Amino acid sequence: MMTTAVPPVAPGALPYDDAEMPLALVQAKTRRLVLRVIWTSTAFLVVAGILGLLLRLRQAEVITLGDNFWYAVMTAHGLGAFIAWAGFFLMGITFWVLMKVGLPIRSFVLPEVMYWSMVLGVIGIVLTTLLSGFGGSWVFLYPLPFNSAGQWSDMVTGVFSISVLLAGVSILAYCSAVLHTCIGPGLKAKTDTVGQRVGLTFGFGLLFPSRFKTDRGKIPYPVLPFAVNAVDMFLATLPFALLLVFQVIESVNNGFSINVLLAGNLLWAFGHPVVYLLLFPAAATYYYLIPRYAGRELVAGKAVAVAWLIALTMNLFVWAHHLYMNYPDGENVQQTLGTIMQPTTYALVLPSALSLYSIAATIWRSDFQWNVASKFLIAGIVSWLVAGLQGIINATAAFQETLHNTLWVVGHFHNMAFLNMGLLIFGAMYAFLPELMGRGWWNERLGSWHLWGTVIGAYGWVTCQMIQGLEGAPRRWAVLPEQYLTLTHISVGFLALLVAAQLVFAYNLWTTLRKSPFDDPGAAMQGGTQR
Amino acid sequence: MMTSLGTGIAVGYLIFVALGLIISFAVLWSTRAGRRDKGQGVDVERAEKAEPWWGVFVVGLLAILLGLTIWRAPWFTENDDPKDVQVQVTGIQFGFLVQPTQVKAGEDVEFNVTSKDVNHAMGLYNPQGQMIMNVEAIPGYTISRSYRFTEPGTYEIRCLEFCGYKHHEMIYPAFQVTA
Ligand SMILES: [Cu+2]
Ligand SMILES: [Cu+2]
Repeated sequence: MMTTAVPPVAPGALPYDDAEMPLALVQAKTRRLVLRVIWTSTAFLVVAGILGLLLRLRQAEVITLGDNFWYAVMTAHGLGAFIAWAGFFLMGITFWVLMKVGLPIRSFVLPEVMYWSMVLGVIGIVLTTLLSGFGGSWVFLYPLPFNSAGQWSDMVTGVFSISVLLAGVSILAYCSAVLHTCIGPGLKAKTDTVGQRVGLTFGFGLLFPSRFKTDRGKIPYPVLPFAVNAVDMFLATLPFALLLVFQVIESVNNGFSINVLLAGNLLWAFGHPVVYLLLFPAAATYYYLIPRYAGRELVAGKAVAVAWLIALTMNLFVWAHHLYMNYPDGENVQQTLGTIMQPTTYALVLPSALSLYSIAATIWRSDFQWNVASKFLIAGIVSWLVAGLQGIINATAAFQETLHNTLWVVGHFHNMAFLNMGLLIFGAMYAFLPELMGRGWWNERLGSWHLWGTVIGAYGWVTCQMIQGLEGAPRRWAVLPEQYLTLTHISVGFLALLVAAQLVFAYNLWTTLRKSPFDDPGAAMQGGTQR
Repeated sequence: MMTSLGTGIAVGYLIFVALGLIISFAVLWSTRAGRRDKGQGVDVERAEKAEPWWGVFVVGLLAILLGLTIWRAPWFTENDDPKDVQVQVTGIQFGFLVQPTQVKAGEDVEFNVTSKDVNHAMGLYNPQGQMIMNVEAIPGYTISRSYRFTEPGTYEIRCLEFCGYKHHEMIYPAFQVTA
């Protein structure tokens, strides 16, 4: 059942301006690229998930790990799960969704750069952390990378920084590719100028329909979050890249150093927007898939266009909410930034609040199609709401004396990243893999087990962490004070359920790849037969 | 055990979560009616027209929260009045230098927190193990934070900013508050 605003891709139906390549070939290449990203990022999830498990098992005193190794595992887990799994997956799936809404990739050079620089970067991160002991955490707060207390050398910091820089290059390539893909002839602008195309891409066609006209009537809503994220992540990655370059220089030149506060600001200028490298493409994918299951177009209009323009601008001016507690005497700039960035952060509630409204209105009294994919999406959307409420709390400076750097924060972002974006990712796998591989899932019921095990297991675990945080449990402690041990043990029980659910999923995926019959030989021929 | 601020946050959060879950459930339940009338029984355009008002409502709620909280941002709650006693807290991998180590309940205490090497933070825990204060310790900078102890006893300082492989052992166990 396909009732989205835009018809599904059919060969020859769409414009493709770099005309040497016929559209059928573009589809086949996109399919292979997206599948490659899905398998690679899922492999990264396996590694990052096991690392995360080790962290909690050590805290629960079930296993022992060397102190520095625990922090190295923590560093690898954070970057691995957030960037190499969730971020990378959503980067890949972006191009599938864009093609489905009539915006096929116009050049495969940038997506290939995206793929390979990410893979190289992740390999570098894994080696420098797990093998060479870099344990500076995924935010590697300067000057910690150069003050390892004898645990790793400056050289390792340099190589680690280059590895992260490669992941940054991957993000830059992705953003460029998304903009190049979106701002294309597929928009079918009435007067086909760059200005018109840019306007249409960023929602001006919704706001000023008489000035930005397209033969398509309306630009599909998923384009908005994809394009907004591409601009913001491109800009936000630049200061971060600068910080990494500084670190590379310092790793070979001991005399070089940078200001600690400046380093913090450079880090968080990227560190907040990078959350939206996951959330905005996730929003776009909800925009695409929910209408498919609700059987009606996304209920949205001007308000949503305004919300995404707010996101586009405000996203770049919220970083200091990570530095609320860094308000040194006499440093009025940092305090002023904190004061300004509480309301700007609140402003970022709008795209989420309006998206949730639009999604709810789309589902409301619809003939909704319930299946594993749509159930995963619904669970993810509810988590978006729940974790979004936590986000408002976190954005409030006055609450930081209780929450800052406690396990509450860790619980919150797992609630957001795993239970919103992660569930969307699983939902997208259930929804898109059949059309990508040309074969249906082996067993739908196993999918339901996967859903319930994941939701109950993960909510049990993040709730334990949030309670521990509210009770003052510090974040990033390999060994927690005695008083928190009971809740840690309870959370391990939930984690066992979570792991069991993922094993069910792995079995279902494996069996699907081995045994499910092809129902779309075309897709199979185009590379859907990855074994 | 949570502090009163922690409890307040938890209660407020849970109220909104409950509201959110009720609305979510209502939306999902409505698809039963949607199945009977094939999704035709709803005026989609009206929902679209109402969306800006939802946006206004959300902005209103956030404006209220902003008005209630921004004045309590930690940098606004400090003042320049002279304090009864100054306590110097310096983080250094992996411990705290604290001077003096003892104050009296009822005194206005000003903690001057800094670091000698990397970023640390001073998490102050009362005898019940609740975190009552937390201040970043930034190398090259000082943050001053005042506190008036009401309850005598032994307080603990734990490091709350990740600072290296012994971060979790960075505890100053015996800050004394006397009657
Ligand atoms: Cu942030
Ligand atoms: Cu520390």
